[in-house]
Amino acid sequence: MNEMRPPERTGLEKAEAVSPDPINPKIRAIEVIDTDFHFSPKWDTIRRYLKEPFRSRLYHFPVGSLEYNPEPANEKPGVGQDTHGTAATAADVIRVLDQFGIDTVVLNPGYNRPQAIFNEPVIAAVASAHNDYLIEEVFPVSERIKASLMICHRDPQMGADEIRRVGHHKQFVSVFTSFSALFEPIGCAKYDPILDAMAEHDLVLTAHSEGWFPHFTPLWTGSRTWIELFGNAPAGNCMAHLAAMICQGMFDKYPQQKVIFQEGGYWWIPDLMLRLDDFYMSASGDIALTERKLAAGELNLKQLPSQYILDHVRFSTQPITIPKDRKHFAWMLELCHAEDLFCFSSDWPHQTMDPANWVVENPDCIDDEMQKKILSGNARKLYGRL
Amino acid sequence: MTEYLLGRIDDFPEGKGRAFKAGTRTVAVFRVNGKLYAIANRCVHKGASICDGDLADNGKVVRCPWHNWPFDLATGQHRLDPNERLRTYDVKLDGDRVILCA
Repeated sequence: MNEMRPPERTGLEKAEAVSPDPINPKIRAIEVIDTDFHFSPKWDTIRRYLKEPFRSRLYHFPVGSLEYNPEPANEKPGVGQDTHGTAATAADVIRVLDQFGIDTVVLNPGYNRPQAIFNEPVIAAVASAHNDYLIEEVFPVSERIKASLMICHRDPQMGADEIRRVGHHKQFVSVFTSFSALFEPIGCAKYDPILDAMAEHDLVLTAHSEGWFPHFTPLWTGSRTWIELFGNAPAGNCMAHLAAMICQGMFDKYPQQKVIFQEGGYWWIPDLMLRLDDFYMSASGDIALTERKLAAGELNLKQLPSQYILDHVRFSTQPITIPKDRKHFAWMLELCHAEDLFCFSSDWPHQTMDPANWVVENPDCIDDEMQKKILSGNARKLYGRL
Repeated sequence: MTEYLLGRIDDFPEGKGRAFKAGTRTVAVFRVNGKLYAIANRCVHKGASICDGDLADNGKVVRCPWHNWPFDLATGQHRLDPNERLRTYDVKLDGDRVILCA
Protein backbone atom coordinates (compact mmCIF):
# COMPACT_ATOMS: atom_id res chain seq x y z
CA MET A 1 0.00 0.00 0.00
CA ASN A 2 2.86 2.37 0.76
CA GLU A 3 3.85 2.71 -2.87
CA MET A 4 0.31 4.03 -3.61
CA ARG A 5 0.93 7.14 -1.45
CA PRO A 6 1.94 10.43 -3.11
CA PRO A 7 5.62 11.24 -2.93
CA GLU A 8 6.72 12.56 0.49
CA ARG A 9 7.14 16.34 0.63
CA THR A 10 10.60 17.48 1.48
CA GLY A 11 11.40 20.13 4.10
CA LEU A 12 9.39 18.49 6.89
CA GLU A 13 10.92 18.01 10.30
CA LYS A 14 10.01 14.91 12.25
CA ALA A 15 8.15 15.52 15.51
CA GLU A 16 8.48 12.82 18.09
CA ALA A 17 5.36 11.57 19.88
CA VAL A 18 5.98 11.93 23.61
CA SER A 19 4.33 11.26 26.97
CA PRO A 20 5.42 14.39 28.82
CA ASP A 21 6.17 14.13 32.53
CA PRO A 22 4.36 17.14 34.00
CA ILE A 23 6.55 17.05 37.10
CA ASN A 24 9.50 19.44 36.90
CA PRO A 25 12.75 17.39 36.78
CA LYS A 26 14.19 19.51 39.59
CA ILE A 27 11.51 18.11 41.91
CA ARG A 28 12.87 14.61 41.35
CA ALA A 29 16.34 15.81 42.41
CA ILE A 30 15.28 17.43 45.72
CA GLU A 31 13.89 15.65 48.76
CA VAL A 32 10.13 16.17 48.88
CA ILE A 33 7.96 15.46 51.93
CA ASP A 34 4.22 15.63 51.36
CA THR A 35 2.48 16.66 54.58
CA ASP A 36 -1.11 16.16 53.41
CA PHE A 37 -2.11 13.13 51.34
CA HIS A 38 -5.41 11.36 51.84
CA PHE A 39 -5.38 7.62 52.26
CA SER A 40 -8.72 5.91 51.77
CA PRO A 41 -8.79 2.20 52.56
CA LYS A 42 -11.87 0.36 51.36
CA TRP A 43 -14.52 0.04 54.00
CA ASP A 44 -14.30 -3.76 53.85
CA THR A 45 -10.62 -3.42 54.77
CA ILE A 46 -11.30 -1.14 57.72
CA ARG A 47 -14.11 -3.43 58.79
CA ARG A 48 -11.74 -6.39 59.11
CA TYR A 49 -9.96 -4.43 61.84
CA LEU A 50 -13.09 -3.21 63.61
CA LYS A 51 -13.70 -4.68 67.03
CA GLU A 52 -17.04 -6.15 68.01
CA PRO A 53 -19.79 -5.16 68.46
CA PHE A 54 -19.02 -2.55 65.77
CA ARG A 55 -17.82 -4.96 63.09
CA SER A 56 -21.01 -6.92 62.73
CA ARG A 57 -23.19 -3.81 62.73
CA LEU A 58 -21.38 -1.19 60.64
CA TYR A 59 -21.94 -2.37 57.07
CA HIS A 60 -20.83 0.93 55.55
CA PHE A 61 -18.71 3.85 56.64
CA PRO A 62 -20.94 5.48 59.21
CA VAL A 63 -21.31 8.87 57.57
CA GLY A 64 -22.65 11.28 60.09
CA SER A 65 -24.24 13.70 57.70
CA LEU A 66 -24.94 14.49 54.11
CA GLU A 67 -21.67 15.13 52.37
CA TYR A 68 -21.29 17.85 49.79
CA ASN A 69 -18.47 17.30 47.31
CA PRO A 70 -17.05 19.21 44.35
CA GLU A 71 -18.81 17.24 41.60
CA PRO A 72 -21.34 19.98 40.81
CA ALA A 73 -18.47 22.47 40.72
CA ASN A 74 -15.82 20.58 38.78
CA GLU A 75 -18.32 18.65 36.64
CA LYS A 76 -16.58 15.33 37.22
CA PRO A 77 -19.42 12.99 38.11
CA GLY A 78 -18.90 9.84 40.15
CA VAL A 79 -15.62 10.58 41.88
CA GLY A 80 -16.81 12.55 44.90
CA GLN A 81 -13.88 14.08 46.73
CA ASP A 82 -11.39 11.69 45.10
CA THR A 83 -10.99 13.82 41.98
CA HIS A 84 -7.57 12.41 41.08
CA GLY A 85 -8.01 8.79 42.15
CA THR A 86 -8.10 6.70 45.30
CA ALA A 87 -5.19 5.30 47.29
CA ALA A 88 -6.55 2.35 49.25
CA THR A 89 -3.35 0.34 49.81
CA ALA A 90 0.34 0.96 50.39
CA ALA A 91 1.04 0.00 46.76
CA ASP A 92 -1.38 2.69 45.59
CA VAL A 93 0.41 5.24 47.77
CA ILE A 94 3.87 4.36 46.45
CA ARG A 95 2.63 4.55 42.86
CA VAL A 96 1.32 8.09 43.38
CA LEU A 97 4.45 9.19 45.26
CA ASP A 98 6.61 8.04 42.35
CA GLN A 99 4.32 9.70 39.85
CA PHE A 100 4.60 13.08 41.58
CA GLY A 101 8.23 12.94 42.68
CA ILE A 102 7.46 12.68 46.40
CA ASP A 103 9.99 10.91 48.60
CA THR A 104 8.13 10.67 51.91
CA VAL A 105 4.49 11.13 52.77
CA VAL A 106 2.47 11.79 55.89
CA LEU A 107 -0.86 10.09 55.24
CA ASN A 108 -4.03 11.66 56.53
CA PRO A 109 -7.12 9.53 56.98
CA GLY A 110 -9.18 9.55 53.82
CA TYR A 111 -12.16 9.25 56.09
CA ASN A 112 -11.36 12.83 56.92
CA ARG A 113 -14.67 13.61 58.43
CA PRO A 114 -14.47 11.18 61.33
CA GLN A 115 -15.54 13.76 63.86
CA ALA A 116 -18.74 14.16 61.84
CA ILE A 117 -19.99 10.74 62.94
CA PHE A 118 -22.75 11.41 65.46
CA ASN A 119 -21.75 8.56 67.77
CA GLU A 120 -18.47 9.12 69.58
CA PRO A 121 -17.74 5.45 70.41
CA VAL A 122 -18.15 4.72 66.70
CA ILE A 123 -15.61 7.43 65.81
CA ALA A 124 -13.17 5.84 68.26
CA ALA A 125 -13.76 2.34 66.86
CA VAL A 126 -13.26 3.47 63.25
CA ALA A 127 -10.13 5.35 64.28
CA SER A 128 -8.64 2.28 65.97
CA ALA A 129 -9.41 0.07 62.99
CA HIS A 130 -7.83 2.59 60.61
CA ASN A 131 -4.71 2.85 62.77
CA ASP A 132 -4.39 -0.93 63.09
CA TYR A 133 -4.65 -1.37 59.33
CA LEU A 134 -1.80 1.12 58.88
CA ILE A 135 0.36 -0.70 61.43
CA GLU A 136 -0.34 -4.19 60.10
CA GLU A 137 -0.42 -3.74 56.34
CA VAL A 138 0.78 -0.29 55.26
CA PHE A 139 3.77 0.73 57.37
CA PRO A 140 5.66 -2.55 56.81
CA VAL A 141 5.63 -1.97 53.03
CA SER A 142 7.78 1.17 53.04
CA GLU A 143 9.59 3.55 55.36
CA ARG A 144 8.55 6.27 52.91
CA ILE A 145 5.06 6.05 54.38
CA LYS A 146 4.35 7.89 57.64
CA ALA A 147 0.92 8.84 58.93
CA SER A 148 -1.17 10.93 61.22
CA LEU A 149 -3.00 8.67 63.61
CA MET A 150 -6.74 8.96 63.78
CA ILE A 151 -8.59 9.64 67.03
CA CYS A 152 -11.99 10.54 68.37
CA HIS A 153 -11.17 14.14 69.20
CA ARG A 154 -14.68 14.95 70.40
CA ASP A 155 -14.22 12.74 73.44
CA PRO A 156 -10.86 13.80 74.91
CA GLN A 157 -10.39 10.66 77.01
CA MET A 158 -11.11 8.35 74.09
CA GLY A 159 -8.69 10.41 72.01
CA ALA A 160 -5.99 10.16 74.65
CA ASP A 161 -6.54 6.40 75.03
CA GLU A 162 -5.96 5.83 71.31
CA ILE A 163 -2.79 7.93 71.31
CA ARG A 164 -1.44 5.89 74.22
CA ARG A 165 -2.47 2.62 72.51
CA VAL A 166 -0.66 3.17 69.20
CA GLY A 167 1.31 6.43 69.52
CA HIS A 168 4.56 4.60 70.17
CA HIS A 169 4.69 3.34 66.58
CA LYS A 170 7.47 5.33 64.94
CA GLN A 171 5.71 5.70 61.58
CA PHE A 172 2.97 7.72 63.26
CA VAL A 173 4.42 11.21 63.28
CA SER A 174 1.31 13.17 64.08
CA VAL A 175 -2.25 13.11 65.40
CA PHE A 176 -5.00 14.03 62.96
CA THR A 177 -7.81 16.34 63.86
CA SER A 178 -9.89 18.91 62.09
CA PHE A 179 -10.74 22.52 62.63
CA SER A 180 -14.43 23.11 62.10
CA ALA A 181 -15.06 19.55 63.22
CA LEU A 182 -15.48 20.20 66.91
CA PHE A 183 -18.14 21.98 68.85
CA GLU A 184 -15.44 24.01 70.58
CA PRO A 185 -12.04 25.07 69.23
CA ILE A 186 -9.11 22.66 69.37
CA GLY A 187 -7.31 25.11 71.65
CA CYS A 188 -9.86 24.75 74.48
CA ALA A 189 -8.62 23.29 77.76
CA LYS A 190 -11.24 20.53 77.63
CA TYR A 191 -8.99 18.77 75.09
CA ASP A 192 -5.96 18.73 77.39
CA PRO A 193 -6.10 14.94 77.91
CA ILE A 194 -5.29 14.61 74.20
CA LEU A 195 -2.40 17.08 74.46
CA ASP A 196 -1.10 15.28 77.57
CA ALA A 197 -0.95 12.01 75.62
CA MET A 198 0.66 13.66 72.62
CA ALA A 199 3.34 15.21 74.80
CA GLU A 200 4.34 11.70 75.90
CA HIS A 201 5.00 10.69 72.29
CA ASP A 202 6.49 13.74 70.52
CA LEU A 203 3.60 13.91 68.06
CA VAL A 204 2.67 16.94 65.96
CA LEU A 205 -0.97 18.01 65.92
CA THR A 206 -2.32 18.07 62.37
CA ALA A 207 -5.35 20.34 62.14
CA HIS A 208 -7.00 19.90 58.77
CA SER A 209 -10.00 21.63 57.28
CA GLU A 210 -13.24 19.74 57.72
CA GLY A 211 -16.87 20.42 57.29
CA TRP A 212 -20.15 19.51 55.65
CA PHE A 213 -21.63 17.91 58.73
CA PRO A 214 -24.16 18.96 61.30
CA HIS A 215 -21.83 21.18 63.28
CA PHE A 216 -22.42 24.03 60.89
CA THR A 217 -20.84 27.28 61.84
CA PRO A 218 -22.44 30.56 60.82
CA LEU A 219 -19.78 30.75 58.10
CA TRP A 220 -21.62 28.00 56.20
CA THR A 221 -25.15 29.07 56.84
CA GLY A 222 -26.63 30.37 53.61
CA SER A 223 -23.71 29.21 51.46
CA ARG A 224 -24.60 27.73 48.10
CA THR A 225 -21.36 26.99 46.31
CA TRP A 226 -18.22 24.93 46.61
CA ILE A 227 -16.23 28.16 46.39
CA GLU A 228 -17.90 29.54 49.52
CA LEU A 229 -17.85 26.27 51.43
CA PHE A 230 -14.37 25.10 50.56
CA GLY A 231 -12.59 28.08 49.09
CA ASN A 232 -13.40 30.65 51.71
CA ALA A 233 -14.97 29.43 54.95
CA PRO A 234 -12.03 27.25 56.13
CA ALA A 235 -9.76 30.30 56.37
CA GLY A 236 -12.07 31.96 58.89
CA ASN A 237 -12.37 28.77 60.90
CA CYS A 238 -8.63 28.19 60.82
CA MET A 239 -7.91 31.65 62.19
CA ALA A 240 -10.45 31.15 64.97
CA HIS A 241 -8.90 27.84 66.04
CA LEU A 242 -5.38 29.25 65.96
CA ALA A 243 -6.42 32.28 68.00
CA ALA A 244 -8.00 29.98 70.61
CA MET A 245 -4.80 27.94 70.91
CA ILE A 246 -2.82 31.08 71.60
CA CYS A 247 -5.24 33.10 73.74
CA GLN A 248 -6.35 30.15 75.89
CA GLY A 249 -2.75 29.35 76.79
CA MET A 250 -2.35 26.03 74.98
CA PHE A 251 1.25 26.70 74.01
CA ASP A 252 2.12 28.05 77.45
CA LYS A 253 0.95 24.79 79.03
CA TYR A 254 2.45 22.61 76.27
CA PRO A 255 5.65 24.43 75.29
CA GLN A 256 6.90 21.57 73.10
CA GLN A 257 3.67 21.13 71.15
CA LYS A 258 3.82 21.84 67.42
CA VAL A 259 0.80 22.25 65.15
CA ILE A 260 0.45 22.11 61.39
CA PHE A 261 -2.65 23.70 59.88
CA GLN A 262 -3.85 22.33 56.57
CA GLU A 263 -6.13 23.87 53.98
CA GLY A 264 -7.11 26.86 56.03
CA GLY A 265 -5.05 29.24 53.93
CA TYR A 266 -2.10 31.30 55.16
CA TRP A 267 -1.86 34.59 53.29
CA TRP A 268 -3.78 35.99 56.29
CA ILE A 269 -0.89 35.26 58.68
CA PRO A 270 0.43 38.86 58.87
CA ASP A 271 -3.05 40.23 59.52
CA LEU A 272 -3.68 37.75 62.32
CA MET A 273 -0.28 38.41 63.90
CA LEU A 274 -0.79 42.17 63.93
CA ARG A 275 -4.38 42.01 65.16
CA LEU A 276 -3.69 39.52 67.95
CA ASP A 277 -0.72 41.51 69.20
CA ASP A 278 -2.59 44.81 68.99
CA PHE A 279 -5.63 43.54 70.89
CA TYR A 280 -3.44 41.73 73.41
CA MET A 281 -1.40 44.83 74.27
CA SER A 282 -4.47 46.90 75.01
CA ALA A 283 -7.04 44.39 76.28
CA SER A 284 -5.47 41.29 77.81
CA GLY A 285 -7.37 41.21 81.10
CA ASP A 286 -9.57 38.23 80.39
CA ILE A 287 -6.63 35.99 79.48
CA ALA A 288 -6.48 35.41 83.23
CA LEU A 289 -10.02 34.04 83.19
CA THR A 290 -9.26 31.05 80.96
CA GLU A 291 -8.99 27.54 82.40
CA ARG A 292 -5.28 26.94 81.95
CA LYS A 293 -4.30 30.38 83.23
CA LEU A 294 -6.57 29.96 86.25
CA ALA A 295 -5.01 26.59 87.04
CA ALA A 296 -1.48 27.97 86.65
CA GLY A 297 -2.24 31.17 88.54
CA GLU A 298 -1.01 33.22 85.60
CA LEU A 299 -2.46 36.51 84.41
CA ASN A 300 -0.95 36.85 80.97
CA LEU A 301 0.52 34.97 78.06
CA LYS A 302 4.25 34.32 78.28
CA GLN A 303 4.99 36.13 75.03
CA LEU A 304 3.26 38.15 72.36
CA PRO A 305 0.63 36.18 70.41
CA SER A 306 2.48 36.49 67.10
CA GLN A 307 5.54 34.80 68.58
CA TYR A 308 3.56 31.58 69.25
CA ILE A 309 2.82 31.30 65.55
CA LEU A 310 6.50 31.55 64.69
CA ASP A 311 7.54 29.10 67.41
CA HIS A 312 4.79 26.48 67.28
CA VAL A 313 2.75 26.61 64.09
CA ARG A 314 3.40 25.55 60.51
CA PHE A 315 1.19 25.64 57.44
CA SER A 316 0.90 23.12 54.64
CA THR A 317 0.98 24.83 51.28
CA GLN A 318 -1.84 23.37 49.21
CA PRO A 319 -3.61 25.06 47.50
CA ILE A 320 -0.97 27.62 46.60
CA THR A 321 -2.37 30.77 45.02
CA ILE A 322 0.22 32.87 43.24
CA PRO A 323 -0.41 36.51 42.35
CA LYS A 324 0.54 37.61 38.86
CA ASP A 325 2.71 40.49 40.06
CA ARG A 326 6.07 38.96 40.97
CA LYS A 327 6.92 41.46 43.68
CA HIS A 328 3.58 40.82 45.36
CA PHE A 329 4.37 37.10 45.54
CA ALA A 330 7.80 37.82 47.06
CA TRP A 331 6.25 40.17 49.62
CA MET A 332 3.50 37.73 50.55
CA LEU A 333 6.04 34.96 51.13
CA GLU A 334 8.13 37.25 53.30
CA LEU A 335 5.18 38.63 55.28
CA CYS A 336 4.04 35.07 55.99
CA HIS A 337 7.52 33.88 57.03
CA ALA A 338 7.10 31.23 54.37
CA GLU A 339 10.77 30.27 54.42
CA ASP A 340 10.30 28.83 57.91
CA LEU A 341 6.54 28.23 58.27
CA PHE A 342 5.55 26.59 54.96
CA CYS A 343 5.62 22.82 54.49
CA PHE A 344 4.81 21.41 51.07
CA SER A 345 1.61 19.41 50.68
CA SER A 346 -0.20 17.92 47.68
CA ASP A 347 -3.60 17.11 49.21
CA TRP A 348 -3.78 14.29 46.66
CA PRO A 349 -6.39 13.26 45.45
CA HIS A 350 -8.63 16.20 46.13
CA GLN A 351 -9.86 18.83 43.68
CA THR A 352 -7.17 21.42 44.38
CA MET A 353 -4.28 18.93 44.48
CA ASP A 354 -0.87 20.61 44.09
CA PRO A 355 2.15 18.97 42.52
CA ALA A 356 5.39 20.49 43.80
CA ASN A 357 6.26 22.28 40.54
CA TRP A 358 5.41 25.73 41.87
CA VAL A 359 8.11 25.56 44.54
CA VAL A 360 10.94 25.33 41.99
CA GLU A 361 9.36 27.33 39.17
CA ASN A 362 9.43 30.72 40.89
CA PRO A 363 13.16 31.11 41.57
CA ASP A 364 12.92 34.92 41.54
CA CYS A 365 10.77 34.65 44.69
CA ILE A 366 11.87 31.28 46.14
CA ASP A 367 15.62 30.72 46.00
CA ASP A 368 17.30 27.30 46.11
CA GLU A 369 17.66 27.27 49.88
CA MET A 370 14.04 28.24 50.45
CA GLN A 371 12.89 25.62 47.95
CA LYS A 372 14.59 22.92 50.00
CA LYS A 373 13.08 24.22 53.23
CA ILE A 374 9.54 24.31 51.85
CA LEU A 375 9.83 20.94 50.10
CA SER A 376 11.27 19.01 53.06
CA GLY A 377 13.53 20.94 55.43
CA ASN A 378 10.75 22.58 57.42
CA ALA A 379 8.87 19.29 57.68
CA ARG A 380 12.00 17.52 58.94
CA LYS A 381 12.32 20.13 61.68
CA LEU A 382 8.61 19.98 62.51
CA TYR A 383 8.08 16.25 62.85
CA GLY A 384 10.39 14.90 65.53
CA ARG A 385 10.06 11.38 64.14
CA LEU A 386 10.91 12.10 60.51
CA MET B 1 8.09 28.67 11.13
CA THR B 2 8.91 25.01 10.69
CA GLU B 3 6.63 22.27 9.43
CA TYR B 4 6.66 19.03 11.35
CA LEU B 5 5.30 15.71 10.22
CA LEU B 6 3.28 14.26 13.11
CA GLY B 7 2.04 11.09 11.41
CA ARG B 8 -1.01 9.83 9.56
CA ILE B 9 -4.52 10.94 10.32
CA ASP B 10 -5.44 7.40 11.37
CA ASP B 11 -2.91 7.77 14.21
CA PHE B 12 -5.18 10.42 15.78
CA PRO B 13 -8.24 8.84 17.38
CA GLU B 14 -11.30 11.03 17.54
CA GLY B 15 -11.69 12.88 20.83
CA LYS B 16 -8.23 12.08 22.16
CA GLY B 17 -5.12 14.17 22.66
CA ARG B 18 -1.53 13.27 21.75
CA ALA B 19 1.64 15.17 22.59
CA PHE B 20 4.56 15.85 20.26
CA LYS B 21 7.98 17.33 20.73
CA ALA B 22 8.40 19.86 17.91
CA GLY B 23 11.77 21.51 18.28
CA THR B 24 11.83 22.91 21.80
CA ARG B 25 8.04 22.97 22.14
CA THR B 26 5.72 20.28 23.37
CA VAL B 27 2.38 20.53 21.60
CA ALA B 28 -0.89 18.72 22.29
CA VAL B 29 -2.84 17.72 19.20
CA PHE B 30 -6.52 16.82 19.34
CA ARG B 31 -8.81 15.45 16.65
CA VAL B 32 -12.34 16.59 17.40
CA ASN B 33 -15.37 16.18 15.14
CA GLY B 34 -12.98 15.47 12.28
CA LYS B 35 -10.93 18.64 12.80
CA LEU B 36 -7.39 18.89 14.14
CA TYR B 37 -6.27 21.34 16.82
CA ALA B 38 -2.78 22.02 18.18
CA ILE B 39 -2.27 23.77 21.51
CA ALA B 40 0.63 24.23 23.93
CA ASN B 41 0.81 21.13 26.09
CA ARG B 42 1.83 22.67 29.41
CA CYS B 43 -0.97 24.25 31.42
CA VAL B 44 -0.14 27.81 32.47
CA HIS B 45 -1.72 27.15 35.87
CA LYS B 46 0.42 24.45 37.48
CA GLY B 47 2.06 22.61 34.64
CA ALA B 48 -0.17 19.63 33.82
CA SER B 49 -0.11 18.00 30.39
CA ILE B 50 -3.04 19.29 28.37
CA CYS B 51 -2.89 16.23 26.09
CA ASP B 52 -4.37 14.25 28.99
CA GLY B 53 -7.29 16.65 29.37
CA ASP B 54 -10.95 15.92 28.75
CA LEU B 55 -13.00 17.63 26.08
CA ALA B 56 -16.05 19.67 26.99
CA ASP B 57 -18.66 21.89 25.35
CA ASN B 58 -19.10 19.55 22.37
CA GLY B 59 -15.39 19.44 21.77
CA LYS B 60 -14.82 23.18 21.71
CA VAL B 61 -12.99 23.16 25.03
CA VAL B 62 -10.21 21.11 26.57
CA ARG B 63 -10.11 21.00 30.36
CA CYS B 64 -6.77 20.65 32.15
CA PRO B 65 -6.52 17.20 33.80
CA TRP B 66 -5.33 18.61 37.13
CA HIS B 67 -7.54 21.57 37.94
CA ASN B 68 -10.11 21.64 35.19
CA TRP B 69 -9.08 24.97 33.66
CA PRO B 70 -11.16 25.28 30.46
CA PHE B 71 -9.30 26.40 27.31
CA ASP B 72 -10.89 27.02 23.94
CA LEU B 73 -9.24 24.53 21.57
CA ALA B 74 -9.32 26.83 18.56
CA THR B 75 -7.95 29.97 20.24
CA GLY B 76 -6.30 28.74 23.46
CA GLN B 77 -8.29 31.31 25.42
CA HIS B 78 -9.30 30.46 29.01
CA ARG B 79 -13.08 30.47 29.09
CA LEU B 80 -13.34 32.46 32.35
CA ASP B 81 -10.24 34.66 32.51
CA PRO B 82 -9.41 36.88 29.52
CA ASN B 83 -5.82 37.19 30.75
CA GLU B 84 -5.00 33.49 30.57
CA ARG B 85 -4.44 31.56 27.38
CA LEU B 86 -2.42 28.75 25.86
CA ARG B 87 -0.60 29.25 22.58
CA THR B 88 -2.20 27.54 19.61
CA TYR B 89 -0.57 26.35 16.38
CA ASP B 90 -1.68 25.64 12.85
CA VAL B 91 -2.11 21.99 12.04
CA LYS B 92 -3.20 20.73 8.62
CA LEU B 93 -3.71 17.67 6.52
CA ASP B 94 -1.64 16.95 3.43
CA GLY B 95 -3.30 13.89 1.99
CA ASP B 96 -3.46 11.69 5.07
CA ARG B 97 -0.37 13.25 6.64
CA VAL B 98 -0.77 15.49 9.68
CA ILE B 99 1.52 18.51 9.57
CA LEU B 100 2.13 20.93 12.41
CA CYS B 101 3.36 24.48 11.77
CA ALA B 102 5.25 25.70 14.79
